[in-house]
Amino acid sequence: MIPEIGHIFLIITFVASIMQILFWIYNINSFHGFTVNILKKSALINFSLILSSFFILTYSFIISDFSLLLVSNNSHSLKPLIYKISGVWGNHEGSLLLWVLILSAFTFLVSKKNSNINPKLLSSIIGVQTIILSLFLAFILFTSNPFERVEILPLDGRGLNPLLQDPGLALHPPMLYIGYVGLSVAFSFAVGALIIGEINREWAQQMMPWITIAWSALTIGIALGSWWAYYELGWGGWWFWDPVENASFMPWLIATALLHSVRVLEKKLVLVNWIILLSILAFSFSLLGTFIVRSGLLTSVHAFASDPSRGVFILIILAIAIGGPLILYAFKSSSFKEQKMQFNILSKESAILINNLFLTTATATVLIGTLYPLFLDAFNGNKISIGPAYYNATFAPIMAPVVFLMAIAPLLNWGQHQQKNLSKKFIFLIITTFIGMICLYIIEQSSLFALICGSLSIWLFSGVITDIIAKIKEAKIKFNKLSQVFFFISKINLGIHIAHIGVAVFLAGVTGEQFYKTEYNGRKHIGDIFDVGEKSLEFKKIEMLDGPNYKSQTATFNLLNDGKVINVLKPEKRFYPTEQSQTTEAAILSDFLGDTYLVLGDGNKEIGWSIRVYFNPLISWIWGGACLMALGGLVSILQNRKYRKIIK
Amino acid sequence: MNPKYKRLIILILILSILGLATKLVLMALKENIIYFYTPNELKKKYGNVKNIDNKIRIGGLVLEDSVIIDKNTSIFEITDKKDVIKVFFKGQLPDLFREGQGIVAEGILKDNKLIASQVLAKHDENYMPPEVADALIKNGVWKGEEKK
Repeated sequence: MIPEIGHIFLIITFVASIMQILFWIYNINSFHGFTVNILKKSALINFSLILSSFFILTYSFIISDFSLLLVSNNSHSLKPLIYKISGVWGNHEGSLLLWVLILSAFTFLVSKKNSNINPKLLSSIIGVQTIILSLFLAFILFTSNPFERVEILPLDGRGLNPLLQDPGLALHPPMLYIGYVGLSVAFSFAVGALIIGEINREWAQQMMPWITIAWSALTIGIALGSWWAYYELGWGGWWFWDPVENASFMPWLIATALLHSVRVLEKKLVLVNWIILLSILAFSFSLLGTFIVRSGLLTSVHAFASDPSRGVFILIILAIAIGGPLILYAFKSSSFKEQKMQFNILSKESAILINNLFLTTATATVLIGTLYPLFLDAFNGNKISIGPAYYNATFAPIMAPVVFLMAIAPLLNWGQHQQKNLSKKFIFLIITTFIGMICLYIIEQSSLFALICGSLSIWLFSGVITDIIAKIKEAKIKFNKLSQVFFFISKINLGIHIAHIGVAVFLAGVTGEQFYKTEYNGRKHIGDIFDVGEKSLEFKKIEMLDGPNYKSQTATFNLLNDGKVINVLKPEKRFYPTEQSQTTEAAILSDFLGDTYLVLGDGNKEIGWSIRVYFNPLISWIWGGACLMALGGLVSILQNRKYRKIIK
Repeated sequence: MNPKYKRLIILILILSILGLATKLVLMALKENIIYFYTPNELKKKYGNVKNIDNKIRIGGLVLEDSVIIDKNTSIFEITDKKDVIKVFFKGQLPDLFREGQGIVAEGILKDNKLIASQVLAKHDENYMPPEVADALIKNGVWKGEEKK
């Protein structure tokens, strides 16, 4: 009975959302104050209903109600509680419900009154959000009902794919979806502006915190996915340019471009059309990302289901949600009044503009690499795959100038006039980078590409430090009291510095992992001692152990340095009887300077076991850097009083 | 500076970035595409060619009783139930590697044998890599859904 209530809530929300859309369209030209009040209330109602429905589904998973098809297919009574809960979104239907839940939550939050959005714009924003909501609800109700019952009650569930039973992956979908769906706010702001035909600097300011939240969540979501792939898949890599990864990376790139160009619009009414287009594109990529993964177009651990009837529905949603706004854009974008573009070639505005050009071009290369195999398959049936080599040859060289500019742009002023001591800053920046490059060359001699990649990281570090030193000098305060330190911090744009340092840390990690990684492969018997790099490993024993819902074959290795045991590594192979599948649990010894990564392969007493060892220098910096970027985003909202007020 | 010049500079910049990107993409697409074949498709396309220097992917089922695991090398045969290709692979086989299971091996063809640098066993809920499933259905040796 309870699941039916959840289903009915969804139906009610769907019908209500259609009525709200009609109400909004009916009142679109004759605007009254009460229109927006009703739309605000309806946003709250939609959110409460979907939230209740989501709780009901979660409850069904917790009590293992196997009369629900979704629960019996994706859960098991013996599964730990946290994975019963994360099982809710570890499948197609449940993850879509999470999607609409987040969408309605964002709509509700944006519509709260202290945002001070012009009521005419606000009602359009809610209207557009409600259209997206109704499309997704229709998709859920007609093709992917999470509350479907089974015909014959099974004895127990089929379990969740063991690869997905993992804390990192329990959090990955919600974070990713907050990112994807958060971008819908920017989308609705843009479409809203097109509908009412006016735009101002407040528009940019009111949109900014939402983009930043979405961007930060997306950053964390992607990083979690990459971290999970690193420790769970046992391949020792962190990014595979898999189409599914690209699907989440493209909206991130566009959102990054948007995040920067909106700052220009906050200062001056320029680049209006470009920013509206980016806002529409960012969310379009989110939709494409959601559906690329869900439609079964691409297969990987993410592809839960592929059902052709869904494909057609997906195309319809994409056509309405992306095509509609683009047509509107074509007709109305020329009507916006802009201020004159008055800025120097050497200014923040032009640096951001160039950054935007490179970021969007880079996105295009990723898009081509992702979709080209699909087109070729549809066109002449040739099956191809495009691997990392393609992206190293296209994406990397296009992104290099972006990092180069990232160090310079914060040093420049807005507008026409540049400071007199700019050349001093540049000289300082160049000298510090040069010293860093020489140090890097002396410590580890490697290829030219390693040197370029490492130098870019140093360049960016130096850029941020140069900027902070210059600001300390300009502020002319003595740091003899703690309060003055805080005063100084409150005056500078701390979030940007943190995020940019994050990129530098990330790049350092990439340099270490890409160019200084070492690998060892071989077959070993119990009792063997073998050298790997500067250290050696001793194969102690192998034993069978029982986990909560799996059986494990656990090996024990001693890591030796000069004959002394410095650490113990225990790689595992796990067998999940419910799901009839096997997973590899790598043993990872992680520290600040790098990881030792040991994987146990197949084998037996006679031929020995296959062993693979990686040394991944600085790899944890990759995720550390991503966390810093996301933190930078959050700090930049918290630090700004106006932004704080909007999201409160 | 004159706004006209500024617009011109921006336009030139956009065009040169796009031009450069197009050039990079075309070059990369030419060099870094990996084609997928089943053993039979490979034979049809290349006939008696014994060596292929570009990387290719071969997909199919691991032939029953063909797996030999030597000290460092795994040797096995991939079949689409019409033709067979022998694969040499140094390194760890994936968790899902089993006889009779659908897999994809990537590498270069040398003397009619695939020297694999990677063996993939990504799969859907039917325990079949999608390319392999497609190819087997096309060849009429598998109807899909049978292992569900």
